[in-house]
Amino acid sequence: MVHVSKGTLITCDQSMKQFLLQLDQTNALGKKFILQELDEEHLFVSSDVLETLEDRVDELMDQLTFTQN
Amino acid sequence: MGKTKKEHPEKRGRKRKKDDFDENSMGLDDPVLLAVNEEEGLPSAAKKTAETTTNCVEDDFGAKDYRSQMNLKTDHASRPLWVAPDGHIFLESYSPVYRHAHDFMIAIAEPVCRPTHLHEYKLTAYSLYAAVSVGLQTNDIIEYLKRLSKTSIPDGIIEFINVCTLSYGKVKLVLKHNRYFIESQHPDMLQKLLKDPVIGSCRLKRLEDTDVLITEEKKIEMSHFPGESLKDKEDQLNDIVPKDITDLYEKIDKVEEEEEEKTQNLVSFEVQQEKIEIIQKRCIEIDTPLLVEYDFKNDKVNKDINIDLKPQATLRPYQEKSLRKMFGNSRARSGIIVLPCGAGKSLVGVTACCTVRKRALVLCNSAVSVEQWKYQFKMWSTADDSLVCRFTSDIKDKLMGCGVFITTYSMITHTQKRSWEAEQTMKWIQEQEWGIMVLDEVHTIPAKMFRRVLTLVQSHCKLGLTATLLREDDKIADLNFLIGPKLYEANWLELQQKGYIAKVQCSEVWCPMAPEFYREYLATRTCKKMLFFVMNPNKFRACQFLIRYHEQRGDKTIVFSDNVFALKEYALKLSKPYIYGPTSQAERIQILQNFKLNPKVNTIFVSKVADTSFDLPDANVLIQISSHGGSRRQEAQRLGRILRAKKTAIAEEYNAFFYTLVSQDTIEMSYSRKRQRFLIDQGYSYKVVTKLAGLEEDSELFYSSREDQGLLLSKVLAANDTDADEERMPYEGTSKSFKKMSGKMSSMSGADDAVYAEFRRNSGVKHPLFKKFRK
Repeated sequence: MVHVSKGTLITCDQSMKQFLLQLDQTNALGKKFILQELDEEHLFVSSDVLETLEDRVDELMDQLTFTQN
Repeated sequence: MGKTKKEHPEKRGRKRKKDDFDENSMGLDDPVLLAVNEEEGLPSAAKKTAETTTNCVEDDFGAKDYRSQMNLKTDHASRPLWVAPDGHIFLESYSPVYRHAHDFMIAIAEPVCRPTHLHEYKLTAYSLYAAVSVGLQTNDIIEYLKRLSKTSIPDGIIEFINVCTLSYGKVKLVLKHNRYFIESQHPDMLQKLLKDPVIGSCRLKRLEDTDVLITEEKKIEMSHFPGESLKDKEDQLNDIVPKDITDLYEKIDKVEEEEEEKTQNLVSFEVQQEKIEIIQKRCIEIDTPLLVEYDFKNDKVNKDINIDLKPQATLRPYQEKSLRKMFGNSRARSGIIVLPCGAGKSLVGVTACCTVRKRALVLCNSAVSVEQWKYQFKMWSTADDSLVCRFTSDIKDKLMGCGVFITTYSMITHTQKRSWEAEQTMKWIQEQEWGIMVLDEVHTIPAKMFRRVLTLVQSHCKLGLTATLLREDDKIADLNFLIGPKLYEANWLELQQKGYIAKVQCSEVWCPMAPEFYREYLATRTCKKMLFFVMNPNKFRACQFLIRYHEQRGDKTIVFSDNVFALKEYALKLSKPYIYGPTSQAERIQILQNFKLNPKVNTIFVSKVADTSFDLPDANVLIQISSHGGSRRQEAQRLGRILRAKKTAIAEEYNAFFYTLVSQDTIEMSYSRKRQRFLIDQGYSYKVVTKLAGLEEDSELFYSSREDQGLLLSKVLAANDTDADEERMPYEGTSKSFKKMSGKMSSMSGADDAVYAEFRRNSGVKHPLFKKFRK
């Protein structure tokens, strides 16, 4: 039996990779999504979570930005 | 006394006793006492804002469309103001009449934001109150505003000005020959007050003046404070300025300065001294707050002290202007003067004391600044050692012949037992009738502590000095009624352009998080989290790089860290001296002296003890590695450490540098934005540096290898939660009854032997079960 799952290559900086790893380890999206850790700045993740990942990163960035009022 | 510098939680019983005592010695002219309940103590008009009156169309970007409410004048190009119906006023700083409009705006409105080209101001009840108290009249304000504005003035604004100014500042409480008078130029106002049942009953009726108000023709001469340069006033004005503006400007100028020379009709009635407090409270309730003024020239009861400014002490134009507001009609008004750090606040304080020439009390917030104030007095005035008297936990000078008394807020408000000597001094302080009280760094003291100072000490007028009239808890409004209105606020950028303060390049340096540290940062949920971004090895490297770069240039660098763990770690690793809370006074002075004079000590590390009042005139580089959340005030105060004008002021574009090191992708980014708001409002701009050129190539920096970084990480992981806390300052959170203890989880659960020891002692009877083990 051969399993085929579609994956996407993510290029990011080192700390963002840590963030994604953290999401993966804590099952924050309900499942493991990292298919392969390639190197310091590259990850191979399954394509179906891509949208959620983008949202999560946006969320993180929002938290770190201060807006008046 | 020596050990009790810290503020202790108040004890119930003791406090009660104190309160009883206070009632007897209750202050003479302290509006503070009244404002104990914050809401109650403010006049109702002060709570109003001009903003409620607006209804206008807003576009997608929040821009407001007022076209329907205002008409543009035909010669609008030569007029500098936009007055919006919500009380915000915009001033074009490139306008030819900018200088006139600027002075006027400072007097009547609060500056909101002052970048290079367009300044934003806001009309508030407080600002109008301040305007009235420095001598502007309702009609003048409205008239001048009308002439300066590009458009017609909205009705709402005119009404707001009317409401706020009509009853304000018209009546004054004056202390003359040790008798209290309520004085006014407007007989009808006094009649109104007398008809009030509460105030009427407080009136002191003497036999000779039956029921008539005392009317006096008064000739008041212009007061000159020493050191004032009698400058030639009006320079040539540009001819594109509309005639009516210049005319009126001259008039306004006269109102402020020369009107004093003509005679004024004053009416007054005397009031009973012991009822002053009731009167003030009542006056605030009926929207006619009493202005407190001190006629120091005619005060024959308190004898003059022999103090004058030295001839070489020259006031800068803005210092003169601020003092002129204070001594405008030859009396001393109470109020607050806001000048940037390093712009010579102390000279203003010293000059005020020399002008009043009565006993002066100077309050500051640390023993170090007590020394600095003494030094300032000796430098600028003729006061010698016998006249200037210090009172701190370590040094208590002899009170003989004391004219200027310098102490700290915590010494005055100390509630615990004092030494006999200190007790005597306190008694003496309370018995005195002080001519002037100078309150340094007035924004730092909690209102509660402040009230206590004012109940203990009686002074005729109060001068508050600060650089940042700003608190995160927005309690600043209180100060307006506790001390007095804001008399003057300087524009930072203008002083910078004229070279009175250093030109500062502000930069925010982004340091990428080391991946291991970021992993731990994400995983940690406790307050220890912050240790990871403060101890970020890339931040450390950036810090080291900047220190070395500036040492090579021959600069003097101060590194700030609120976190003590990081402070020690950084300082020890780089082998630099550091100062924090527990550092002894002697050691502090030794380090500071070395920093000033020793060419080998170019960098020091300090915690937030150095935020205010550490005078380090030579420092011109400041690196901030950790900070107190998003405190705008702290940011401004820290900047102030390097603001003092530098010798090379003209040679370079910038002569001081302010770096904030920020770990990327962490909450620090958000804090940093938040902290910068105040300085941005003052017109400063921050440069974001994402990469320091040459940092990567530099092989001599620490923590370049993964192994070193790993070692650092394990050190941070071994630190406990209390290490992550910021240092607590003695005067912060004084009312809290809990104590902070450092310890491990095991001691909380009783696993340390100290607890066991007690168990052993208590268990006199042996349980049969234990006999088994004890054979």
